[in-house]
Amino acid sequence: MDKKFIPKITVFHCINAFTEKTHSIFVGRDDFEVKFIKLPCSSMVKDIFLLRAFEAGADGVVVLVCPEGQCRYVEGNIRAKKRVAWVKNLLDDIGIDGGRLSLSNIAAGDTAAATQIIDNALKNLAELGPNPAA
Amino acid sequence: MIVAEQKPLSEIKEIIAPYKKILILGCGTCVKTCFAGGEEEVAVLASALRLAYKKDGKEIEIEELTIERQCENEFIRESAPAVSRNQGVLSLACGAGVQALARRFAKTPVLPGVNTTFIGVLEKQGIFTEECSGCGNCRLDIFGGICPVTRCAKKLLNGPCGGSQNGKCEINPETDCAWQLIIDRLKALGQMDNLRKYIPPKNWCTSLSGGPRKLVREDHII
Repeated sequence: MDKKFIPKITVFHCINAFTEKTHSIFVGRDDFEVKFIKLPCSSMVKDIFLLRAFEAGADGVVVLVCPEGQCRYVEGNIRAKKRVAWVKNLLDDIGIDGGRLSLSNIAAGDTAAATQIIDNALKNLAELGPNPAA
Repeated sequence: MIVAEQKPLSEIKEIIAPYKKILILGCGTCVKTCFAGGEEEVAVLASALRLAYKKDGKEIEIEELTIERQCENEFIRESAPAVSRNQGVLSLACGAGVQALARRFAKTPVLPGVNTTFIGVLEKQGIFTEECSGCGNCRLDIFGGICPVTRCAKKLLNGPCGGSQNGKCEINPETDCAWQLIIDRLKALGQMDNLRKYIPPKNWCTSLSGGPRKLVREDHII
């Protein structure tokens, strides 16, 4: 009998966009495993961190950043957006599909949006399947 | 600075295909500045290759190291232990660095991981432009600090071709007309009389066209 695919998702998040308290909305869910990486600003998302997340076995990576125009460090979320776009292309070149990586803007405390973002990522991963390089 | 661009991943995979254990060696000078081959780029490339190999069901051992400059023996020496541990070296330095390594480690294949492109500057964040062709006979004093040998598509030395439109080159409309820039600069400097100076046909012997060049400084040779 095929083992049910339980995706592993790593969430990189800016502590201003998504707080530790919000992590709790995912407690008790058994449809995925999640790892949170807190960042002082989403501009700290470096290409290597995203790749290492996949090397560590993540099936998908989600980057949560503040809404555009609301980054307290002015352009951190824009830098994150550019880097995520670059890494998506690299993941395509590697052959594991850039669709496994996504970036979403989220206002602080918006738990509904957070849930929706994760649900979208799960839907995506259901189609893509497990990370072939894990 | 020397500007280079990392080779596409597919090409790098082909180049390293014969080897099971490689050292990716970065350089902390020019290629780091243009995001082609510094420590971070070494880490990203190593990670990308590990993922790609795992995805293909193949194995590879990758060691990562970055030295200050790959064009000087003093720094190359530091990489000797790492080089000896590996079957091949994927160098992310410019062509000079790759060759300096190959000369030093004659028994280890040294492979290029970047394409060395030009001598240039950081025009603005994320944009590097070619400024110097290394022609070996610099007359930027006459041209107001703007080089027509590099930046004029036709390499004209005595004024514009007349084909530019709105300050853009007729050969490549995305490029500024070098002679428009020169004239604007000479006007600002009050040196428009420079345009009356005749520059004879260029003797290219001092450039790469005359063969690979050498600089010998006797005062530094013991």
